[in-house]
Amino acid sequence: MLGPLGMFGFGAPWVLAAIIALPAVWYLLRVVPPAPRRLAFPPLRLLMGLSAREDSAARTPLWLLLLRLLAVLLAILGLAQPVLNPQPGVAGGDRALLLVVDDDWAAAPTWEDRQEVLNSLLDRAALQDQPVMLLTTAPPADGGPVTLGRLGTPEDAREQIRSLEPKPWAPDHAAAATLLNDLGAFDAVMISGGVRHEGTDALLDALRRHGPVTLVEPGPGGSPLVLGPPERTPDGLTLTVHRPAAPGVALPPRAATVQALDDKGRPVGAGPVTFAADAATAEAHILLPADLRSTLARIEARPAGSLGAPGAAAVLLLDDSWQRRPVAVVPGERERAGVPLLSDTYYMHRALEPFAEVSETTMAEALEQRVSVIMVAGGGRLSDTSTDQLVPWVEQGGVLVRFAGPQMAAGPQMAEGSRADPLLPVALRGGGRTLGGVLSWSQPASLAPFPDDSPFAGLTVPPEVTVTSQVLAEPSVDLPQRTWAHLSDGTPLVTGVRRGQGWVVLVHTTANAEWSNLALSGLFPDMLRRLTALGQGAGDGSEDAAGTAPQPPLELLDGFGRLGDPPPTARALTATTTISPDNPPGYYGRADQRTALNLSGAEDPPLGLGALPAGVERIGFGPMAQAVDLRPWFLGAALTLLLIDLLISYGLRGLLGRRPTAAAAAVALAAILAAPPVEAQQGDDAFALEAALNTRLAFVRTGLGDVDQMAQEGLGALTAVLGQRSSAELAPPVPLDINRDELAFFPLLYWPAADGQEMPDAAARSRVNEFLNRGGMILFDGRGPENAQALQVLLQTLDIPPLAPLPKDHVATRSFYLLPGLPGRVDGGPVWISQSAASGDAVSPVIIGSSDWAGAWARDNAGRPRLPVIPGGERGRELAYRSGVNMVMYALTGNYKADQVHLPAILERLTQ
Amino acid sequence: MAAPPAPSAILGAEQAAAAFPPLLVAAERVAATVAQGIHGRRRAGPGDAFWQFRRYQQGDSAHSVDWRQTAKADRPFVREHEWESAQTINLWCAGGAGMDWRSADTLPTKRERSALLLLALASLLLRGGERVGLLLPGDRPTSGRLALHRLAETLHRAGAWDIPTSGLPRHSSVVLIGDFLAPVEDIATTLRTLAGRGARGHVVQVLDPAEESLPYSGRIEFTAPTGGSSGAWLVNRAEDIREAYVDRLLAHREALRALTRSLGWTFALHHTDTPPHAALLSLHQTLSGALLKGTG
Repeated sequence: MLGPLGMFGFGAPWVLAAIIALPAVWYLLRVVPPAPRRLAFPPLRLLMGLSAREDSAARTPLWLLLLRLLAVLLAILGLAQPVLNPQPGVAGGDRALLLVVDDDWAAAPTWEDRQEVLNSLLDRAALQDQPVMLLTTAPPADGGPVTLGRLGTPEDAREQIRSLEPKPWAPDHAAAATLLNDLGAFDAVMISGGVRHEGTDALLDALRRHGPVTLVEPGPGGSPLVLGPPERTPDGLTLTVHRPAAPGVALPPRAATVQALDDKGRPVGAGPVTFAADAATAEAHILLPADLRSTLARIEARPAGSLGAPGAAAVLLLDDSWQRRPVAVVPGERERAGVPLLSDTYYMHRALEPFAEVSETTMAEALEQRVSVIMVAGGGRLSDTSTDQLVPWVEQGGVLVRFAGPQMAAGPQMAEGSRADPLLPVALRGGGRTLGGVLSWSQPASLAPFPDDSPFAGLTVPPEVTVTSQVLAEPSVDLPQRTWAHLSDGTPLVTGVRRGQGWVVLVHTTANAEWSNLALSGLFPDMLRRLTALGQGAGDGSEDAAGTAPQPPLELLDGFGRLGDPPPTARALTATTTISPDNPPGYYGRADQRTALNLSGAEDPPLGLGALPAGVERIGFGPMAQAVDLRPWFLGAALTLLLIDLLISYGLRGLLGRRPTAAAAAVALAAILAAPPVEAQQGDDAFALEAALNTRLAFVRTGLGDVDQMAQEGLGALTAVLGQRSSAELAPPVPLDINRDELAFFPLLYWPAADGQEMPDAAARSRVNEFLNRGGMILFDGRGPENAQALQVLLQTLDIPPLAPLPKDHVATRSFYLLPGLPGRVDGGPVWISQSAASGDAVSPVIIGSSDWAGAWARDNAGRPRLPVIPGGERGRELAYRSGVNMVMYALTGNYKADQVHLPAILERLTQ
Repeated sequence: MAAPPAPSAILGAEQAAAAFPPLLVAAERVAATVAQGIHGRRRAGPGDAFWQFRRYQQGDSAHSVDWRQTAKADRPFVREHEWESAQTINLWCAGGAGMDWRSADTLPTKRERSALLLLALASLLLRGGERVGLLLPGDRPTSGRLALHRLAETLHRAGAWDIPTSGLPRHSSVVLIGDFLAPVEDIATTLRTLAGRGARGHVVQVLDPAEESLPYSGRIEFTAPTGGSSGAWLVNRAEDIREAYVDRLLAHREALRALTRSLGWTFALHHTDTPPHAALLSLHQTLSGALLKGTG
């Protein structure tokens, strides 16, 4: 049953009968007044006998009544299972629903929309417990025939649909049609790819025989795009893009984009495509520099604004024949040049290297290598065998560039030939022409600007390029068209002509500096680059390769146009291969020699659906056309209204007075919950502020009370000594939590080692290493030889640079006091510093020892020493203070005093 | 605040002890803001404070002669003291469920406010040297600082009690604090009895602001504070009866005022949403004036 709006239907319309009960609800609500609120009131006696003026005021207000009726109405409507945009073709009842799904390449661009349409259809079917059968029209990947799915619940079908993927080959509608013969009556919905295939009509007719058929099609906005063959232009690529079209069906204009990607998947160029109205084909142009063009691997077409998968038909894979632009440089056959700066091939090599694969070979090898451009230097006449091989090569797309030379200019040789050289674009006159020679009055000729229709158009001509010798062309009618460059006096310098798919080009001067300084100018590489760009790559010779051996699948496209590993069912590519489940599109061959098999590249646009058999209802799918189950919304709205009604009732009875309290409590609770992180943040900031405002020493808290106290008192006493004896007036030392606190504020960290101390975690270790790398200094103290184990354990967790014993005259022993070493409370063995600091000027980030310095420094509140200094008594304590002062000075001033270490040597030198 | 039944008497006493100091302090604080000493007798009499020197007269005892003053002049002078005689004032504060009621959590109950007024007044009176007692059979008026504590204790222990119509000393003053919402005839009977024994009285009506304005609306069933049994009144739209109620309340108060006037007593009105100081000051003024008048 469809509602009055057409977009609105009910799954259980009989529930709507409950609407007739609404007047009863109305009556009940009118009759029963709201419950009174009980209120204690001392002057009750004064109230007795007073009554309201009108009795009707006790009844529910009209607007509240309407609100409640609306809530009930919404509840009834919600229970009637309202559906927005009910899907057609689902008439309900016991008939099964047959979903015919085109899962071919045409479906890929709109695959998600299809899934949504299918899901909404299944939603509807699920609402009515309709059995569902699925028929996918593309043959499965294992090469088997199209099969019919099992009749099952909508949820089963949902599982199947979720696992569906578009296939990169065409559907088999004819086979699908034959499957339907044995079936009974059903409702059919066909989700079409929008392309007419062989057998589409038969399939629709077969469906029509079993019941009503609805065809869901993508419409002109979602129809698949198909890329046509690419064509090279001097400045890039021209691509043809098709869309399905059927005779007699109007198509709106449509915009799309084509994008070119290189072999690493990076976009290197893009161009817009605009289909005119009713046009099935549009052209796109992608501007590409020649060197980028050679790296192209893939071209995609997408509807404008879409970022999704383009679909296999809109992806054009380019194989090696496209990418590699091998250029063979062949020396003149009669000339074997050996001297680098004089040989033609040297200049060509240098000019070609930046953008092409250059190989210097013989003509025979060049032809074997399937190069795209062959440049022949030296100007000699080609041998007959070479000519016989070169002519078909050029016709298949090769580019032959020849340079003139003395041999070519020698007229008699020209005349000798029994036939005209077919590999020259123009006929040549015997004898050359020399300008500006010793015996000539004329000046060397410069180049004229390139003609607009020449491949060189747009290149600027440097004025210093001059030509002194050239070969001359016989004047003929078509000479101007074949002239790509000429001298300022109008004689052709470069001529070219198309032969078959390829080109034959002649440069009327040499490739070395003998006849012209062209080869020395910057114009020469540019010209050669343009000439190379004419080549189509190794000559479409895939037929040869395909003819010789089957090529195994390498990387294959899926239906969406994504490259992936080949499925086990894919077979090798042979000469006669067309795209099928056995041979999906993709790359075949070896990794170093790939052949692309493309679904795209068709010359003609695919056929649109066009007119359909009578009785097939066709609808489009768009984002808004899905069925929306409105039941939760209606019931939710009813519930909301009832809640509002509850609040209003409370308000009418004056019970809302306590709400502000509750709200305040909620706000307070939220504030309490939100408070702790704020405080923590403030705590960190306070620590950073406190630490940054004053320079101070710090020690790493071990978690052991006596060790920490000793460190605190030791550093405190050292700070006092520093303040008395030096200008380093430090703030009181602070303990640090190595796992939590920021270290960057402190010039020197004192890190006592003790058994059972807290070890730094991974994050702290990285912060310690960062601290050391950025100029911080840590004094590790083993606190006596008996604690060596703890010190080792501690140091193992850290990234300590290579160590060396402290040299006798190290800066640390000279930075304030002149000391024999860095003595502490006990003799803890040698003190270690970073290796690089021991030898050079670098400042050691660590000082490691076991002398228990803090123990020697520590004094209690009354200023009495805490611990005895084992060797030396009070003199030893004084030395310990001095080493502490030196270490702090070393941390603060670095190797500033390093010069002092060498002072004796300097003085000695000065006195000499 | 009502007197608890026997089993929980100790608990109630503890609760009272908890509430007792703030109440007393509050009473002291309120009393301290009122100027003291305006109720001197303004005449010579037995007392400690110097009043005046006067010529010696026949009959004055010899030890009343102020010899120092006499030596300054050529005739004897007698030193007179100001007469300081204590007045007895009996206080009463209404109780009952109706008094233990407030319209909003932010307000004190009428009972709390009444007790506060009573104790503050007592504090003031005691500081002035008066003898203060509760209008309670068997309670003897006392004076001195400790009397305030005794009063507070007695007040709590007594809980709610009716105005006794016998046992009142003649020509004393009474101060009655309560909501006086009972029928005027009942109140008149009681007050006339008191007045018949020569008492001068002051009536303070303490009302909650809600009782004054009936700020309710909607469908409400009003019940007595004591519980549902004593009656209820269902009002469909409370806002509709507001004016009628206010009229009735005003009429009731006018009747009270007329009653007190006819007895030569004073009447004052206090609302619990106003600070107690104003009421206390006006009460104090009235009372001191009345005391002067009463003894003058």
